[in-house]
Amino acid sequence: MERIIFYIFAAAIILFSLFSVTSTRILRAAIYLFLVLVSIAGLYFMLGYHFLGAVQLTVYAGGIVVLIIFSILLTEQIDSRMPAPKLGTMILSGAVAVIGATVSIFAITGHNFETTPETVNAGTVEKVGERLLSYGEGGYVLPFEVISVLLLAAMIGAIVIAKRPKSDEQTSE
Amino acid sequence: MELSTLLLMRQELALTAIILILLVSEIFLSKENKGVVVPLALGLMVLQTILGFIPIDYGNLFGGMFQNSELTHLMKNILNVAVLVLFLQSASWLRKDVLEQGRGTEFYLLILSTLLGMYFMISAGDFLMFFLGLELSSLPLAALAAFDIYKKQSAEAGIKFILSAAMASGVSLFGISMIYGVTGSLYFDEIAAAFSFGGLEVLALVFFFGGLAFKMSLVPFHFWTADVYEGSPIPVTSYLSVVSKGAAVFILTIILFTVMKSMQDVWRDVVYILAILTMTIGNLFALRQKNMKRFLAFSSIAQAGFLLLGIIAANQNGMAVVVYFVLIYVFSNLGAFGVVQAISLNTGKENIDDYEGLYRTNPKLSLVMLLSLFSLAGIPPVAGFFGKFFLFIAAAGEGYYWLVLIAVINVTIALYYYLLVVRAMFLRKNDNAIPLFKSDTLLRVGLVICVLGILVAGLYSPLYEYIFGLSAF
Repeated sequence: MERIIFYIFAAAIILFSLFSVTSTRILRAAIYLFLVLVSIAGLYFMLGYHFLGAVQLTVYAGGIVVLIIFSILLTEQIDSRMPAPKLGTMILSGAVAVIGATVSIFAITGHNFETTPETVNAGTVEKVGERLLSYGEGGYVLPFEVISVLLLAAMIGAIVIAKRPKSDEQTSE
Repeated sequence: MELSTLLLMRQELALTAIILILLVSEIFLSKENKGVVVPLALGLMVLQTILGFIPIDYGNLFGGMFQNSELTHLMKNILNVAVLVLFLQSASWLRKDVLEQGRGTEFYLLILSTLLGMYFMISAGDFLMFFLGLELSSLPLAALAAFDIYKKQSAEAGIKFILSAAMASGVSLFGISMIYGVTGSLYFDEIAAAFSFGGLEVLALVFFFGGLAFKMSLVPFHFWTADVYEGSPIPVTSYLSVVSKGAAVFILTIILFTVMKSMQDVWRDVVYILAILTMTIGNLFALRQKNMKRFLAFSSIAQAGFLLLGIIAANQNGMAVVVYFVLIYVFSNLGAFGVVQAISLNTGKENIDDYEGLYRTNPKLSLVMLLSLFSLAGIPPVAGFFGKFFLFIAAAGEGYYWLVLIAVINVTIALYYYLLVVRAMFLRKNDNAIPLFKSDTLLRVGLVICVLGILVAGLYSPLYEYIFGLSAF
């Protein structure tokens, strides 16, 4: 039973990702992306990573896709279509994708992964919280702090790109 | 953990403090006083550079996520000096074009946060910190490339940069996730112990390498370089080509030499092919450029190809010569970009043809340019010669004679196009030559530092021995 559900999720992820990158309507591409992210959350729940699954749903499927749709609505007409790529480009990039996927799949399936028995409860909220704020081996407080600088820098970058220079405002008024 | 052990990451903490001071000053400075930010940022950067030369303790923090050694400390110092020179050179551009748009502080904030990312990347002890550093050092750069947002070219540079950067990060992250799957750890020392030859390991190595090759703009990953360099404002271009590239070279060398040591035979083959491609193609494209920024972009691609000769040596000598060459490259390239910037700011001209007869009207600038180009080309007795010479010795010492031969041929080609610029400046006569102008004092200080750096790094030989002594791993 679990195997069947896994295959359903996997097929959904592959199909919707393909639709997402090939769709010529940008809003549809965003919706397909949303479905991909939801299916991935499904995989996390199957693995027993409930916290990760919940984060995937709220942050990615809930937050980021909504942001993407907002920015599409603010900048583009919804019904405008992107031009379809040329046949040559499609064949070339398709070939690259197929070759890359084949090589990766062979390499991954050909490798003997070691398994450990202790992962079952690793994803509980207490453990995540403890690891996130501990500073010893296996603690993540330093990356946690560095990410905050990264977010600050990204915000400033966004302001730089979005802000109008003063001279421009005066001419438009 | 005692709080005093945090002093191991003194440089990172100080830089974060500088970023916060600048951020707060932006909030509290009144509109008329916004210009204060230029001397403020400069002063803070001078302090940070001096602070870097004060001895520091070495060790690990946060369970090995952060590693500080004499070598990483030296690398950070080199980056500090480069950023300081860059700040000196960009002051006049900021005063002239940017401050009136009310966004001078943002320039400093973005540059300094990428510098912080580079610190963490170089000091990383695990792949998580490495990746965060990589992101922190490339995301804000996209905003910097698009800083002249109302010029179409600059906006285009920004979007090109962020798309290629996202792609490269994604590929690199995929490689890292494979490494994690194979070894079950993100820490460098545990991976080094567990990593051995195998199909998935090779694939992981290649993907991981791809991400950094993008930042260094090695040849199959170089397509973004010329357009982004041309479209960005000149200070950003020189930052991309000097500091950002230098940091990527440092961390790539460290990871290849330590973490991936067991895969040496594989990555040596990869580096071998990339070195030949990068040198040759970079050179061939540089030959055909008319615009100074594009010309320097392709020449910097070729320089990265030469650097790979040091990486392929994979021993103490290789590590030392990579650091030494980057140090020289910093001064030479910043010198060249400084002159391009001075001329572009005062006259708006950026083509090689415009430089004809420059020596007669602006002899000092021409001499700085001459010295920088000679150093880039590797003409003795300037520093660049010793850098290239040591690189070739390092590669030849490991038996890569054919590679060295190809590199020597490429040096000759490079000599030709560097001399084309020199000929335009010194030998060509031109009635419409760029008239004499006086450039900004700070910019001149920056150029003087570059000239001193080129001369000292070449003639003061204990410097190389010092770096060699630190490079044991």
